[in-house]
Amino acid sequence: MRILFLILSLFLTLSLPSNAIAQDPLVKIRILPEKGKIAPDENIWIAIEQSITPHWHTYWKNPGDSGTTPSITWTLPEGFEISEIHWPAPHKLPYGPLLNYGYEDKAILLQKLTAPETLPDGPLELTAEIELLVCKEECIPEYGSHPLTLNGPNAAIEDNSPYIQAARQDLPEKTNWPVYHSENNGDFVLNITAPTDILSQINLASMAFFPEEWGLLSNTAPVQALIQDNTLILKQTRGERAINSVKEFTGILSFQTMDGEKQNYEITTKYKAAQAPQTANAAAPAENSRIAQALLFALLGGLILNLMPCVFPVLSIKALSLVKIAEKHPEIARRHGLSYTAGVISSFLLIAGTLIALQTGGTEIGWGFQLQNPWIVGALSYLLFVIGLNLIGFFELANPFANLGGRLAQNEGLPGSFFTGILATLVATPCTAPFMAGAIGFAFTQPPPVSLTIFAALGLGLALPYLTLSFVPSLQKALPKPGPWMDIFKQTLAFPMFMAALWLLWVLAQQTDTMGITTALFGAILLTFSIWMFKHIPEKPLTHNITRAIAVLSVIAAFVLLPTKTNAPQNNPAIEATYSFGQPFSQIRLEQELNGDTPVFTEMTAAWCITCKVNHKIAINTAATKTLFAKHNVQYLIGDWTNEDPEITKYLQKHGRNGVPLYVYYGPRDPVTKQRPQPKLLPQVLTPDTIKNYIEGD
Amino acid sequence: MPKIIAYTMAAAILIFSALPVNAAVEIGKPAPEIEAVDTNGNPFKLSDHKGKIVVLEWTNHQCPFVVKHYGSGNMQAVQKTARDQDAEWISIVSSAPERQGHVSAEEANAITADNGAKITAKILDENGEIGKRYNAMTTPHMFVIDAEGNVAYAGAIDSNSSPNPKTIEGATNYVLAAIESLNNGTPVEISQTRPYGCAVKY
Repeated sequence: MRILFLILSLFLTLSLPSNAIAQDPLVKIRILPEKGKIAPDENIWIAIEQSITPHWHTYWKNPGDSGTTPSITWTLPEGFEISEIHWPAPHKLPYGPLLNYGYEDKAILLQKLTAPETLPDGPLELTAEIELLVCKEECIPEYGSHPLTLNGPNAAIEDNSPYIQAARQDLPEKTNWPVYHSENNGDFVLNITAPTDILSQINLASMAFFPEEWGLLSNTAPVQALIQDNTLILKQTRGERAINSVKEFTGILSFQTMDGEKQNYEITTKYKAAQAPQTANAAAPAENSRIAQALLFALLGGLILNLMPCVFPVLSIKALSLVKIAEKHPEIARRHGLSYTAGVISSFLLIAGTLIALQTGGTEIGWGFQLQNPWIVGALSYLLFVIGLNLIGFFELANPFANLGGRLAQNEGLPGSFFTGILATLVATPCTAPFMAGAIGFAFTQPPPVSLTIFAALGLGLALPYLTLSFVPSLQKALPKPGPWMDIFKQTLAFPMFMAALWLLWVLAQQTDTMGITTALFGAILLTFSIWMFKHIPEKPLTHNITRAIAVLSVIAAFVLLPTKTNAPQNNPAIEATYSFGQPFSQIRLEQELNGDTPVFTEMTAAWCITCKVNHKIAINTAATKTLFAKHNVQYLIGDWTNEDPEITKYLQKHGRNGVPLYVYYGPRDPVTKQRPQPKLLPQVLTPDTIKNYIEGD
Repeated sequence: MPKIIAYTMAAAILIFSALPVNAAVEIGKPAPEIEAVDTNGNPFKLSDHKGKIVVLEWTNHQCPFVVKHYGSGNMQAVQKTARDQDAEWISIVSSAPERQGHVSAEEANAITADNGAKITAKILDENGEIGKRYNAMTTPHMFVIDAEGNVAYAGAIDSNSSPNPKTIEGATNYVLAAIESLNNGTPVEISQTRPYGCAVKY
């Protein structure tokens, strides 16, 4: 009984669409010959036109992740021959986690029919058996037999040549451009050498590549396109099939021109192994020495971080209090040094680990990402503000954590030292100091254990001065003797802290809006209020608890109120105002400029990066540089990385960097060879002369 | 306060390290683990079946390509040949609820019985987890896993991608070819093909 029911229901599901086919197919087929008459030895085009019901689709030669190619089987009179199908360029048809290549609404396939030397008299009967799969949510196969009569009674007047002409216009243009494909780091890479007049008009953002072979690329992955030295380079995540298993294949390059005109070119690509890497034995020592160099630079960079304006006060206070105890308890001083070092290194590893994890997860972010979130920026500015309040003497902390001044002699102070280490890391990370950029960029190209080691070296560098001080008594003696002056000194250091807090608020202002900055300032008042409440907690149990509750709620409110989302930077007048001159950077904009002949200068910056701001102020936004740019007709593009921006992150990575600042100079096109010289990376610390030297040459 | 930030960061690390890593199916590499309960309520763990060849078949009883192979009796015949050669056969349904091919365990068992399918077990994967782990794209999409637990074949069931049942005759069945090579100890000649069929209804 059940079997019967199932067979019946199966039959119903199947028969509904097939009934529909009989009366009203989802794809209507028309077979149109170029003309009704064919002469001996002549060849004419035959169009197979699919009119597809809206929202349904049929498939291309390579259907993509699912589906199947239509099949057309001809029954021809004796001696006739018919060519392969000529396919128009397909569209990408996403379907959940899959993607298909096919057609919607209308598709015209073309085949060329060739007549033999001698033809029989009278009408010629041809038949096309067409089998195609049409899908929307579900798929339905449609089969049909389509007759075509040539040299029939109306043959003389049947002329579809304008229709065929138009259909042929839609076919991809065949090329013999040198193209090769390779694999690079899990990407399918296509190098296409095309004529410059074609390359120059490509809108790279519209680029799509349709391979006739299956499985070579991950169809759903986005394609990255760029033009370098007259070569169009396309990159897309590879598919499940080994790339070197297909030595040669054909595909369609589909894009829009700058004017929005759609263009399709058929290319044939050959496999070429990626740039032959040096033999493993030769490469290994070179790689090892690069790792050693990166470790050294990371260490030096960490040392330099000690001089950052907000790190310095934290450390000098720490150092002085260390001296106070070192005289009596050298052993405890050493322990504090180690505890602080552990704090710095572990927080560096935490941040780097998060970053690596995020990047493995596919997020396009780079070093400094901590400051791309306005909530973190706001929280850090609170932190600096509260430290400032503590330094100036507004309150003392009974809590051994975060204790910056006294009580170091006790062992409970050790976690305090650990957290001072975390604190130092937090305030030091935003700006990749000159020595660090190379090391960090390199670190992220390495497997996680190596990159984490490099970050550990960076942390060690940051911790080194204090660590050395805690271990070498003679250095401690070189420091001024503790005394009442220390209180004054401590209070003085509150001001750089307030300044640093202000700087972060300025960053926040650029990331959000007036409301964002107002809530942050309100939060600062709430924090002050809360500390004040804590200082004056009454004795009575009831009011005691109420006061405490209000104080705690104020702290929570201060953090909850902070904005968590950035505003679109393009709508932010504050960001625009920071750029004196220059144009906003985008990859497309850069490609456009590079397609021209004039030099191009790019600057990647962020509001929270002090190095960037200083460089901009003293070396770029100057009368001399403006004149220099004007004189050489330098196109100047600024990329703002204050907020997360995958495009800029990619650009940084392309130049081996993982953070800002980055300055790149692309020399002018050589009038004779029509080539641009290799782009040059400028140092991360600019002087007014640096740019001039790069532009006006050696 | 530094403590709060440190804890937040530590929590973030934990969360991110728990994110699944994309495990792609690679020929000759270990097949991704499957741990599920089959339509009869029995636990199924792929790694428990080492020592035997295991065939995975993605299916959707309403897909015309699946109907092509079951309606003609071809799939059942392939299953019988495979089982006779001591291979296990697991059918997997990755259709999401309310999408084509989604069935309850009872319905799934009824379909198995009515088709006369010769399978070891059927697994419902309505959240698509197993399907995405294997990057299963079509119904049918076939995987052959060797006795060591490595993927020996991935792709179409046979060499004719037409939905027309008439085309089964004369097509090369890649799954049977792979099983035969594995049993003979010879390399699987065609180990990867383009799967054809309806898209899996994730």
